[in-house]
Amino acid sequence: MPDLIAMGGLNTSLSIGMQALEVSEGALNATSNNIANSNTPGYTREIPEISEYPENVISGAVTGGGVTLNGLRSVRDELLNLQIQQQTSAQSSADTESSALQQVQTYFSSTGNDIASAFSTFSSSLAQLSASPSSGAAQAGVMSNGKNLAQAFNAAANGLTTEQSAMNTQVADTVGQINSLTEQIAQLNGQVHQLTAAGQDGGTVEDQRDELVQQLSQLTGISVTQSNDGEVITTGNGTPLVMGDQSYSLQTTTGSDGMQHVLDSNGTDITSTIQGGTLGGSIQTRDQVIPSYLKQLNTLASQFASAFNAAQAKGFDSNGNAGQNFFSVPANPAGAAAGISVSITDPSQLAISSDGSAGSDGNVANLSAALTNTLPSGQTPSQAYANLVFQVGNDVSNSSSQSTAIGQNILQLTNQQNSVSGVSIDEETTNLIRYQTAYEAAARIVSTIQQLGTVTLDMGSAQSY
Amino acid sequence: MRVNPNMVPDILADLQQSQTAVNTALQEVATGKSVNVPSDNPAAAAAMVQNTIETANVDQYTQNVNSTLSMLQTADSSMGSVVNSLTQAISLGTEGANGTTNATDLQAIATQVQGILESVVAQANTSYQGAYLFGGTKTSSAPYTASSSSSSGYAYNGNNDVNSVAVGDDMNVQVNLPGSQVFSNSNTDVLGSLSTLVSALQSGNPTQIKSATSAITTALNYVTEQRVFYGNAESQLNLQETSLQQETVNLTSQQSSLVDVDEAQAATDLSQAETADNAAEAAAAKVLPNTLLNYLVPPQ
Repeated sequence: MPDLIAMGGLNTSLSIGMQALEVSEGALNATSNNIANSNTPGYTREIPEISEYPENVISGAVTGGGVTLNGLRSVRDELLNLQIQQQTSAQSSADTESSALQQVQTYFSSTGNDIASAFSTFSSSLAQLSASPSSGAAQAGVMSNGKNLAQAFNAAANGLTTEQSAMNTQVADTVGQINSLTEQIAQLNGQVHQLTAAGQDGGTVEDQRDELVQQLSQLTGISVTQSNDGEVITTGNGTPLVMGDQSYSLQTTTGSDGMQHVLDSNGTDITSTIQGGTLGGSIQTRDQVIPSYLKQLNTLASQFASAFNAAQAKGFDSNGNAGQNFFSVPANPAGAAAGISVSITDPSQLAISSDGSAGSDGNVANLSAALTNTLPSGQTPSQAYANLVFQVGNDVSNSSSQSTAIGQNILQLTNQQNSVSGVSIDEETTNLIRYQTAYEAAARIVSTIQQLGTVTLDMGSAQSY
Repeated sequence: MRVNPNMVPDILADLQQSQTAVNTALQEVATGKSVNVPSDNPAAAAAMVQNTIETANVDQYTQNVNSTLSMLQTADSSMGSVVNSLTQAISLGTEGANGTTNATDLQAIATQVQGILESVVAQANTSYQGAYLFGGTKTSSAPYTASSSSSSGYAYNGNNDVNSVAVGDDMNVQVNLPGSQVFSNSNTDVLGSLSTLVSALQSGNPTQIKSATSAITTALNYVTEQRVFYGNAESQLNLQETSLQQETVNLTSQQSSLVDVDEAQAATDLSQAETADNAAEAAAAKVLPNTLLNYLVPPQ
């Protein structure tokens, strides 16, 4: 039956041509979608999955079966995504600490109103007093410089506490953002699961979810694993946030220390275990870094005040009375720096004299020595303060260089990720040309076969005459 | 291997880096300081705490040295006048003791010596900027006032204490001698010996005049010895002033090596940073718009 073979051949070619048209359309679709989303955050380029259609065997002759489009596939590297998420958490934590400490360190910079400057004017005014003990101006100078010193302590302590409460507010805000993100992720997770269960590519839904997970990793350190129900997201410590299509929201409550504590969905306090991200950074700064500065500042304020008051007590004031306390500090050392103030009300109450006579400067040496002698902490006041300045400066510099280093790392990883998943306009343009040419050629096949079919039909009618 | 098609993050990071470098260099040039906040150089910022305190102290110590020196010079010159007065009293005493002077002349000499006594008391009541120099630490009232109950005719109202002025860390210089030590010591009483001479001259007894005169000689030697204290203190302060000047120089150079920028270096850094920034921007402008599309002929 040679006729059948010939007609079957033309029909086959026609259907192959039609398939080629469809596949080219699908491929053009992928290209146009890639170009359209070339600047969409989190978008993963899609490639058409094209394969040969099973071959035809007709009367023992094997002919090509054409082409088929299996679907579009997003090109992604989950491992890179995980690494980027981890680094993002670490960077965001360092950034949070760094920007908070940038604020804090202005109180420890040499501005003229800082504690070092106040110590220096207080110290030199005492030296002046030793040269002119009965000068009212010199006495008033010591008293007002003492007030400046107390105010410098107050300002630094208040600056630290303000930053601490800003961090505290951030904790509550961040937990809110985390909850809203985990809810959306759980929803998308469910959709991805349905798609993949049906054997389809997660595609855009997966892109959206990955982008949200990326945002979540900025807020707190997370660990992402795959399960049968989709992604499982937990905090670094294992507190579940998302399991499949179910999200678990965190809560905040005001603790006994007046600070916001983070609770998991069962009500367990997980504050101290949270690391990474804005949340980890704020908690670290709020609960570790600032309290350590405050503690040192308070120790310095309270020990220095006691030492100076003890020196006052060794002498007599200008009225011949035994020296009373120059500084007053709150009984609770935790509030020493914030609460230190000058308690004498008149410069004549300075205990300048060692023998009770108004012209003696015998006790000034004791007063000056309080600034240079070792405090119970084992350091002189200026050493203790210098240490604190060093620590603050070092912490700021460490956290910002850490952030820069991680930033470089993330850039590398993002480059790698982009080299896998990023849309290249050049590549898409090239593909556009390829698919256009293929489409044109396939269209030519269809029209050629159509012409041949007409010829064949005409041939048949001519025969019948 | 597929190349990362998206150069934007890299270019942005480069631009940010080069702009940060420009900002840093600009700030250094503008402020003249390389350490503006502790994080710029934590160790330098910590060292500056001590430097700031030391610098202010050294300034004040230098002022203390200068004001103390003037005070010591005032006291020293008072002591000098007392020495002159006592020398004069000795020659008057010697004149009165030679036995040839008549009673009228002795009375005249006695009046002269009384005048010397009063001038010595005036010197003992010298004050500097309102503070009496020989009253011990009671500097607000005159150390010697006339008193009929005292044998010398003058009572000491001061105390036996001394003051010290801080002129260095852990360096306090004693700056006064109480009058009770210099002028009315129970062993060598300057005022008392002068007043004894006046009485002896008035009585006209050559032996008494002679012994009173020799007591004044002892007093003169004693005052001269005491005066050495002021000379010593002055030279100690002069030495200290030199070392404070040196310390000021040291502290200034320490400060400058800790936080000041090398102007030439900073200017060079700035221009380098600007060049790098311009290059990064130029590269970005050249690379970013480049795609295959630029070279494709649009369809007719």
